[in-house]
Amino acid sequence: MNEFVLPSLLLVLSLGALPLVSRFRSGVRTFVMPTLVILATLFAWHLACAALGTRVFPSPMQTAAAFGELFESQRLLGDVVASLFRVTFGFLLAAGIGIPLGLVLGWSTRSFEALNPIIQGLRPISPIAWIPIAILWFGIGDGAGVFLIFLSTFFPVTVGTTAAVRNISLVHRRSALNFGVQGLELFRRVVLPAALPQIITSLRIALGVAWLVIVAAEMVGMDSGLGYLINDARNAGSRYDLVVATMIVIGAIGIVLDYLIRRLERFDEVRWGYVQR
Amino acid sequence: MSAREPKVVFERVSKTFPKKKEVLQVLQDIDLSVAEGEFVCLLGPSGCGKSTLLNIAGGFEEPTSGTVRIDGQLVDGPNARRVFVFQEYGIFPWASVWDNVVLGVRHRPRSEQHEIAQGVIDLVGLTGFEKAYPMELSGGMKQRVEVARALAVSPDVIYMDEPFGALDSLTRLTMRAELIRIWNTRKPTVLFVTHDVDEAIQIAERIVVFSARPGRVAGVVDVPLEHPRDLSSHAYADIKRELYGLLGVVQAV
Repeated sequence: MNEFVLPSLLLVLSLGALPLVSRFRSGVRTFVMPTLVILATLFAWHLACAALGTRVFPSPMQTAAAFGELFESQRLLGDVVASLFRVTFGFLLAAGIGIPLGLVLGWSTRSFEALNPIIQGLRPISPIAWIPIAILWFGIGDGAGVFLIFLSTFFPVTVGTTAAVRNISLVHRRSALNFGVQGLELFRRVVLPAALPQIITSLRIALGVAWLVIVAAEMVGMDSGLGYLINDARNAGSRYDLVVATMIVIGAIGIVLDYLIRRLERFDEVRWGYVQR
Repeated sequence: MSAREPKVVFERVSKTFPKKKEVLQVLQDIDLSVAEGEFVCLLGPSGCGKSTLLNIAGGFEEPTSGTVRIDGQLVDGPNARRVFVFQEYGIFPWASVWDNVVLGVRHRPRSEQHEIAQGVIDLVGLTGFEKAYPMELSGGMKQRVEVARALAVSPDVIYMDEPFGALDSLTRLTMRAELIRIWNTRKPTVLFVTHDVDEAIQIAERIVVFSARPGRVAGVVDVPLEHPRDLSSHAYADIKRELYGLLGVVQAV
């Protein structure tokens, strides 16, 4: 009975504390309230497991134990590095090509007219659909992963950069013209800085997509990485505790990646793009 | 006034825009001569083409017929000798006040850039804000940056397209007084577009009144008042009455 009474009590307590905490000053509030919600979720999860008496789906405690196992086996680090490596290289490659291409497409109407249709045609194809071709071309391994991440980030970055340049206000274009800013200087002084806030937003979206796609890609067509770890845990005796623990790791890394890329938004040169205008 | 050299000369400038099946006549046969160092207001209702005329003089748009000459030379594109002060802020939000102001003199030697930029920043009253970014400044201060950026190139002509339109009425009054102070220091030729009758009388030496579309010169009114101008004087009221008459607007409400 104890496995119901105590968690129920804690669940009610943590939810009941929310309205009280909401009156605290905002510094405390923004930390304590999410913590309470997370705790309540864990208690509810525990209660659901206990009530259903499931043997396959892990409880929070079993998941915590699985974390220990993952760390001890030293497998986790290798898979995290494998996934991050593919995402980093694919993403940098896409940014390195997509941003300059987007700048050109946004500025030159002719290149936009020529290339936009094919870009819009390729864009809606899910990167997952490319997995067979990626394996055909690069085999099972990092090459295919980097290729798939490149595909899934190249389009958001290119399209986002193009739109950013096309959105540069007429007044700024005219200011540049008026003071004789042209050629490469125009790109460096006006086009790139004017588009930069929106470019950073598109990078942020692309990185989020990359982290979603790499897991799926590793589940289907790779033999390392966090996606592979999930598949492997299920195939090796339905270890759903390891599956859920890995999912939590994936979520945590996703948060860290987003936090890191958001730091770009704080520079003085781009902050203007994120405030109310 | 007649002793001064003509600086900007408009000759039979017309502008039409294609609009579905018909053509929209925006400006019709504008003849106007602005003297060196003169402060001229173009006054008219919204849509009378006064901004279009300014854009043509700035080289951003082409007249359908007629010509604009500055110092006898045909205007055929934008040029840093004649600069715009925009209504919506044309200064770059990604650059500091300093970097905005040196834009027009970026090819000069460093020491010269420094001297010019500091000079105009001091002149517009932004000393101490050199490193600030536009988003940290009020609307009036942003407009001062814009004016400083224009003055930095020592332009032949400054075009101002309702530069204070986005400011509140008190800031607008201050900015007008500031503009006159600055103009008296450097004496650039100024073409100032406004639809505000009081603004025109407060700042201009000469007011060119435009009729509603198609824009035509409805009349030219001299403002022979010394600065600072007494806004409650009889002379002021007389000019105001004359302007309202030319605009065809009832003054009493």
